[in-house]
Amino acid sequence: MNLKRSLDAGGIVFPVLVGGRLLLALTNLSGALKRDHQLSSPLTSYLNLQEGIFLFKNGVDPYSGGVFRHSPLFLALFTTVLPASRTVSSIIWTLCDALGAWALVQVWRARQQVAKTSRDSLIAAAYLLNPYLFLPTLALSTSSFENTLALLALMFAARGDASRSLLAAALLLQFSLSSILLLAPLLLLLASSPVSQLASPRAFSANGKSITSFVAEFLAYTTVLTLASTLVSGGWAWIPQTWGASLTLPDLTPNVGVWWYFFTEMFDHFRPFFLMVFSVHLLIYVAPVCIKFQYDPLYAAFVLLGVLGTFKSYPSMADPGLFISMIAIFPEIFPCKHPIVTALLHLHAALLMPLFHHLWLNQGTGNANFFYATTLVFACANGAALTDCIWAGLMIAIGEPQEDYVVVQE
Amino acid sequence: MDRIFARLRAPGDPNLARLQRRHAIVAALTSRIHLIKLSLFLVGYLWMAALPLPRLGRGTYIDENALQPGQVNTYWNWGDVANADRYLGQLEGLRDTNSTSQQRANVLMTEFMKIGISASTQKYKFSSSTGSIEGTNVYGILSSPRTSGTEAMVISASWISRTGEGNGTLNLRGVSTVLALANFLKRYSLWAKDIVFVISDNYVDGMQAWLTAYHGATQSNLQADELELTSGVIWTALNIDYPGHSFSHLGIFHEGINGRLPNQDLLNSFQFISKWTGGVPVLVYDHLESSQLEIPSWIPHALHEEIRAYEYRSKNVLRHIGYQARGRGSGVHGLFHQFRIDAFTMFGIPATGPHGFYAIGRIMESTLRTTNNLLERLHASFFFYILTAPERFLKIGSFLPSAVLISVAMMFGGLKIWSDAAWIPNSAAADPEKKDGSGPDGRRERWIQRNRPVIHVLGIILSTHVLGAILFSTLTNSWFINNQTIGSAWTFIVVSAIPLTALLVPSQDGRTMAPTSLLLKALNLCLASTVISITTVVNFSLAASLAIVLGIPLSISSPSRNLLMRLSKYGAYIALSLGWLFACEEVRKALWDWEILGVWFAPFVCIVFAPLVLQAGIVCLLPV
Repeated sequence: MNLKRSLDAGGIVFPVLVGGRLLLALTNLSGALKRDHQLSSPLTSYLNLQEGIFLFKNGVDPYSGGVFRHSPLFLALFTTVLPASRTVSSIIWTLCDALGAWALVQVWRARQQVAKTSRDSLIAAAYLLNPYLFLPTLALSTSSFENTLALLALMFAARGDASRSLLAAALLLQFSLSSILLLAPLLLLLASSPVSQLASPRAFSANGKSITSFVAEFLAYTTVLTLASTLVSGGWAWIPQTWGASLTLPDLTPNVGVWWYFFTEMFDHFRPFFLMVFSVHLLIYVAPVCIKFQYDPLYAAFVLLGVLGTFKSYPSMADPGLFISMIAIFPEIFPCKHPIVTALLHLHAALLMPLFHHLWLNQGTGNANFFYATTLVFACANGAALTDCIWAGLMIAIGEPQEDYVVVQE
Repeated sequence: MDRIFARLRAPGDPNLARLQRRHAIVAALTSRIHLIKLSLFLVGYLWMAALPLPRLGRGTYIDENALQPGQVNTYWNWGDVANADRYLGQLEGLRDTNSTSQQRANVLMTEFMKIGISASTQKYKFSSSTGSIEGTNVYGILSSPRTSGTEAMVISASWISRTGEGNGTLNLRGVSTVLALANFLKRYSLWAKDIVFVISDNYVDGMQAWLTAYHGATQSNLQADELELTSGVIWTALNIDYPGHSFSHLGIFHEGINGRLPNQDLLNSFQFISKWTGGVPVLVYDHLESSQLEIPSWIPHALHEEIRAYEYRSKNVLRHIGYQARGRGSGVHGLFHQFRIDAFTMFGIPATGPHGFYAIGRIMESTLRTTNNLLERLHASFFFYILTAPERFLKIGSFLPSAVLISVAMMFGGLKIWSDAAWIPNSAAADPEKKDGSGPDGRRERWIQRNRPVIHVLGIILSTHVLGAILFSTLTNSWFINNQTIGSAWTFIVVSAIPLTALLVPSQDGRTMAPTSLLLKALNLCLASTVISITTVVNFSLAASLAIVLGIPLSISSPSRNLLMRLSKYGAYIALSLGWLFACEEVRKALWDWEILGVWFAPFVCIVFAPLVLQAGIVCLLPV
């Protein structure tokens, strides 16, 4: 009922966008895109998922090989509730994106504390028309589910619905281990409010007891879901194959992230050390970001999503895509520091990546370094977007720049 | 020590010093941005002009050790030449009786079978908006006596020679060389790879059909028989083009479709073998080095040689750019490149002598022995190069920066306009309230900030590209091809009339919002710069052509107050953007290339190039 009312409030734009996306999903694009390394990683690839489902249905443990790295919950979903045919999948994936867009609009409304704004359709469009998001969806990458779950967790948290939010976060954790980073800002958000406080920083004030109970609830959900996964897959073998994969990087299939090339070049005896460095590097951001933006945990979550999109182990286009689309719900940070430079960096990266991928793997005139170089451009573009947003978020508190005054340190 | 540090460190607040330093650097750069931009343009264009300089570049060399070119004794002898002559006689008979492709194919297939090579034919039919093309290919496969046949090399000849880009001259001697080689190669057990002999019908379309079928690719406008015989992965292909009676030189033609080049090792090995085993000098294309250039007498004698060399090399570079920029392969070999096969055409330059079947047979034999040595695909040498002379080439690092510098200049121009658009002098704004608030002396107080709305500018950009896409779909319509002269005129008029709606845009308040024309120009320059710098790696010739055509024109677009001025400027941009519509033959060829061979040049021009220039035209139309 709530969903229906929100859709009506969104006016005609939202249904039109979803309709257009559904039409696009029904064309045969996914066949051409589903093998693309930039749109899905080994952890989110539809082809791997299909193989796992096939093995599972035929009584072979899908986790005994080295291919299937999806959560057992996906196995459970696709072997019982959801059919695995391609057309139906395309529709499900697109509807999942629509749900994500709806959740994003809800987050926006919760942040503004209003029922309906003129900006709603723009935000929905920013999510549904972002090529970084709809191309992975067309390629049936399961990162679409991860994005939607992340947005749902944020949405419920913004509304103060702790249980659902934590359930969504626990589900998200099942699908992607690195999303644990989001837990801290999510808890802060549950304990405070989603309203924009960027302009008026203050110390965090909420009772710590509620947070303890939230953590307990989250742990309970996670335990239940983990046990459920173990039941589904009939053993613990899924843990090293799914969660473990994002820490130990067994599959070096190229993707848009910065890990794969580094570890293809790595001598074996350095590998454990650098795996530790890379993983800990992700964790390092959590505390400073949450402390700095303690007055606006939603913003902290947004920044951490940007960190994940740039530095996580098996990213696809969809991870930075979520961060970029989320910029739409923070109009107070516009214009960021160097919007055109960041936009041009992204334009270069987005054009160069498929091109160099083609030069390397199809045309054969390039090599792995070509594609790696463009993933670095992409990482720079994501990094630039991230620093722009952090900078802009901090500068709001200082106000309009004054003549003859420069901020040296915030 | 401390004293030295103290002297090095500026007195006062280090933060202040740092800020002042940063400010000074930024100010120094921004005040000289026009100079920087101009010098980048200048260096870029001069660099392009310097590419054929004989002192630039370096000599070719073989990089892959496995190739070992010219290290074998050749066994091709006069008996094989006599065989080739007999095949030639038979082919001339076919030519004189005006036999159909099918009859021809059957004769050729029988000849292959007589040698003891399994052979087959393939009928194909392309349908395109220019009409349909039919033909029949013949191919034979000599299975490798030493391995399981997972890899293959191709020897091919097309029925029609590349003379005049396929003007109908028959490649009879090329075809007879292939047949005689088949007869000859069968007798040796040296081959570690299958050898596939292909005699493709017509000029390029036959090979396109054969390759598409061989690789199991699909092409919607092609109906072709499936191949009855197949072999392994093809690594290299040698295409023979020998149209004349004899030849004096062998010319290398190497550009593939969509600008892909073969690995340079293949060309270098061939060149080495041709020179030392065959005794035939090698040329790039069919350009003989003897130059008829008249050099004025006031130029010192010492420079004459240099100037002649420059002229010769620039001819080669321009020919290369002509093929690569248009994405058009320089021969049948170009089609192989799309399937990652390194291939080139050896073209016997027609002459009265001294070389013939004897030389080409030995060269082919030795080149095959060399490619037979490969243990992995050619990868060691260069894929990005420009051959300026038979034994000299430019590495990517020595030509790529020229186009990139121009694109950087455009990017700087765009960014400068973008950042300028945010500010307006207070006097121009003529806002009394602001004037009161401003300080009495400060330099910066005279500027006030204004908004830069981009959504509708992006809308304009997007709509020009959509217009380009519509233009392209019009051109590929069969009606357009059949009524090309009228069609071109109408398309030109309609497409150039649509942007005129920009004249209706009212002049907006410049005090609060930057004028659309300024923002459009900024984004247009940034976009064009991005397109150029990205294309450089895939197809340098195309990027260089774009840099020349777009660089200066897009940078000087500006709106004006006078309607006549606006329209005449717009007219100039329209001529640049769509003038090619009236080069009917060229348009036809580009469309044919797109439909039959999948060359991207036509859609690129319609969807990327023309809209970029149109945007500059719209900048001129918009109010100041």
